[in-house]
Amino acid sequence: MSTATHERLRVVDLSMGWAGPLVGAMLTEMGAEVIKIEDTRHFDWWRGSLSMGPPEEHPIERSAVFNTVNRGKLGVTLNLADPRGVEVLKRLAVTADVLIENYSAGVMERLGLSYRVLSELNPRLVMISMPSFGAEGPERDARGYGNTVEAMAGVTGLTGYHDGGQPYTLSNALGDPVGGLNGMFAVMVALHERERTGRGQWIELAQVEAAIPLMAEALLDYQLNGKIPPPRGNRHPRYAPHGIYRCAGEDNWIAVGVESEAQWRALLGALGLEELAADPRFATAEARKRNEDALDDALSRAFGSREVEEIARRLIGAGVPAGQVNSAPAVMADEQIQARGFFVPVERAVVGTHLYPGAVARFSQTPLETDRPAPLLGEHNETVLREVLGMSDAEIEALERAGIIGTRPLE
Amino acid sequence: MPGNPPTSAGTPNRIQKPMRPREHLTGRADWFQIRLGADLFMRYNSLSDIRVVDLTHHIAGPYATRMLAEMGAEVIKIEPPWGEGARRRGPTRGGAGEETVDRGGLFAFLNTNKFGVTLDLRHERAREMLLAMLERADLLFENFAPGTLQKLVGLSPNDILERFPRLSIISISNFGQDGPDRDAPINDLVLFARGGWTYPVGEPTREPLTPPGSLAQYIGGLFAAIGAMQALYARNFALGRGQHVDVSLLEATVATMIYETVAFQYSGVARVRVGKRYLVGPYLIVTLACRDGYAGLHCVTDKQFEGLCEMMGRPELVRDERFRTALLRMVNNDALLAIVEPFFREHDRAFLYREGHKRKLPLVPIPSIAEVLEWEQLKARGYFETLRDPVLGEIRIPGAPLRLSSHRPEPTRPAPRLGEHNGLIFGERFGLDDAELSRLRQAGMI
Repeated sequence: MSTATHERLRVVDLSMGWAGPLVGAMLTEMGAEVIKIEDTRHFDWWRGSLSMGPPEEHPIERSAVFNTVNRGKLGVTLNLADPRGVEVLKRLAVTADVLIENYSAGVMERLGLSYRVLSELNPRLVMISMPSFGAEGPERDARGYGNTVEAMAGVTGLTGYHDGGQPYTLSNALGDPVGGLNGMFAVMVALHERERTGRGQWIELAQVEAAIPLMAEALLDYQLNGKIPPPRGNRHPRYAPHGIYRCAGEDNWIAVGVESEAQWRALLGALGLEELAADPRFATAEARKRNEDALDDALSRAFGSREVEEIARRLIGAGVPAGQVNSAPAVMADEQIQARGFFVPVERAVVGTHLYPGAVARFSQTPLETDRPAPLLGEHNETVLREVLGMSDAEIEALERAGIIGTRPLE
Repeated sequence: MPGNPPTSAGTPNRIQKPMRPREHLTGRADWFQIRLGADLFMRYNSLSDIRVVDLTHHIAGPYATRMLAEMGAEVIKIEPPWGEGARRRGPTRGGAGEETVDRGGLFAFLNTNKFGVTLDLRHERAREMLLAMLERADLLFENFAPGTLQKLVGLSPNDILERFPRLSIISISNFGQDGPDRDAPINDLVLFARGGWTYPVGEPTREPLTPPGSLAQYIGGLFAAIGAMQALYARNFALGRGQHVDVSLLEATVATMIYETVAFQYSGVARVRVGKRYLVGPYLIVTLACRDGYAGLHCVTDKQFEGLCEMMGRPELVRDERFRTALLRMVNNDALLAIVEPFFREHDRAFLYREGHKRKLPLVPIPSIAEVLEWEQLKARGYFETLRDPVLGEIRIPGAPLRLSSHRPEPTRPAPRLGEHNGLIFGERFGLDDAELSRLRQAGMI
């Protein structure tokens, strides 16, 4: 959204990990100037995620996940244990439209940066705090991660094979993206309201509370029927076949979910299994559900020798809901994903050029910008202090000498 | 010694200037009261100036418009006279049958705070009424198969935008409005599989395991709700007019699994299924059996490892040659797990949670859905709202996840019965008299 008006939005982003930084990243896509604040002693801990190596290789600049959700931001370091650092932050917050933080409850107050203080200096400020489990209540101090948030929202307890065994954590720390998306929505709502009222406000977003609505169906099922629904695995409560079947090769799988008689016949046709249509065990939808184990056996045999891409294509062409179970490289090679150009190349210092997820919402007039790199630690210290706060070279040097700003991690 | 700090490649990030004058800096903040108490907040009026015409069905679209309605937007849900499919979807009392009419439980949740009208868009007069509604609307949401909107309304999205310049259209679809698989059949199982969520979950020797429920539908809905707010923002502050926003559920699914797609390019290693572990790495992120269920342990930092050892009564493990550093804990992960697992099996979830909490160790008792409803933390915050639904009776539904400092909420309104607000919207808002309304009713248009 490269329009002059959007660029007027300034964001101070104190958050770390995934959920909070996602809010700032989505704002950069609208052309907002997002200033990410880190501390050379306590830099974003996500810089250490999925990234290791000797210091001379700059491991903290090599985190795939940090480099994804901080794209387009300006990187500034400030030592917030020092009052001079806090002072600089306050000066930035006075000029900002939005401030994002996901410290544990009480940290902003201790720093003297509570919303009460900041809003007196800047009543138009929209501030969002994103504690995992909420800013009050018995668990207010619990340290949450995407995975633990996911568990406490009831997701993990329902993730398991249909025939028993343990629960599993999903692949993507669900609590984080869902918390971040809710945070972004909330900020947009507050910015909208601000134009009417002239005032910003403080948003408190408990990440676990953002994730629970995704489980509404199970929550209501339990309330209306008094039974805790068991994990269903890949099966569906009514439809069969509905499962994931092994295809030829190393670890290739196809997902197939049949929901109508026409799809059932199309599936049999595509697999050359027409004789199953006459089998009384599979003659009706109810019978197929009743004999699902036998049905899955028959289908597993049929899929076992098939090449996954070829059979997936054929099933889709025949109108059967089906698709390859994509591993990461397969996702990126997926025809539909490629045709719409979802991944965008971004060049970044230290790591070079990679493909990153692009814009999910495609705007016909103001496309989102997703092609700017994540900042290096303290990369924009000088630029921001000089151009935003009007500091002189001498002032900036003094901050550097005092260790308030820096570009190298300190222990 | 570390080398020189690296310098940036690529285009420099933008600095804005000049600053807009901040006339408000001298303003008083006496409006400001903050109370984050359990009695706050459920429904807001932040979007009370926004009017939404909602043609969506199933989950993703209704969830998006639900979010706007919760924040105070006026959402008019338009259904065909026979009702949208989700009304017949479960859960209902006595089982999750398809046969139930007026509504299922999920519909009752997804459509709170909306107005409900019916229109059979096959009739010319009904299409005229829809266009009259668009005249005063800010947003039109639809999640038909691509191309269907044009067939129903008789106007392409571009024509509609041309005619109603302030309107934005938010289209949600499985694969987006273009591409070779635009019209391919899909369901939640396939969406997750193709979007990459499924492959890394489950036992290495078994089939990959799909996530529960319809999570991707909700995530697509979130992107759509944000897209709508961004379209309003662009209209109000830059463009002066609305636009078309195209949201693909497949891309929403892929966008939220960055661990795989980007990490794979950095490392060259694709993630595989590792069973009870979340990932294999210099940490212990694992689902563990305990005496009364399962617990999730998320032990990443040295400090957390120290806490874990202390909790197990084995503080000496911190100095154990096998586990001294994160890297060693990765190499000797099996040995570490062999020590941790028996300890968990001997204790119950409440003990583990309490003791973990004391040591700031991320460790959660994996709750059932029933336990989520009774979780003290959520009770203390008044999170679940009790809704008196006219069909289902008293149900507890998730409340708004966000609390705004400047609002007092109004109670949530139940989802509309089929055509509940026909009289209110068509009569009072659009001035149709009783005779006309009953004519329309008889003709089956509403």
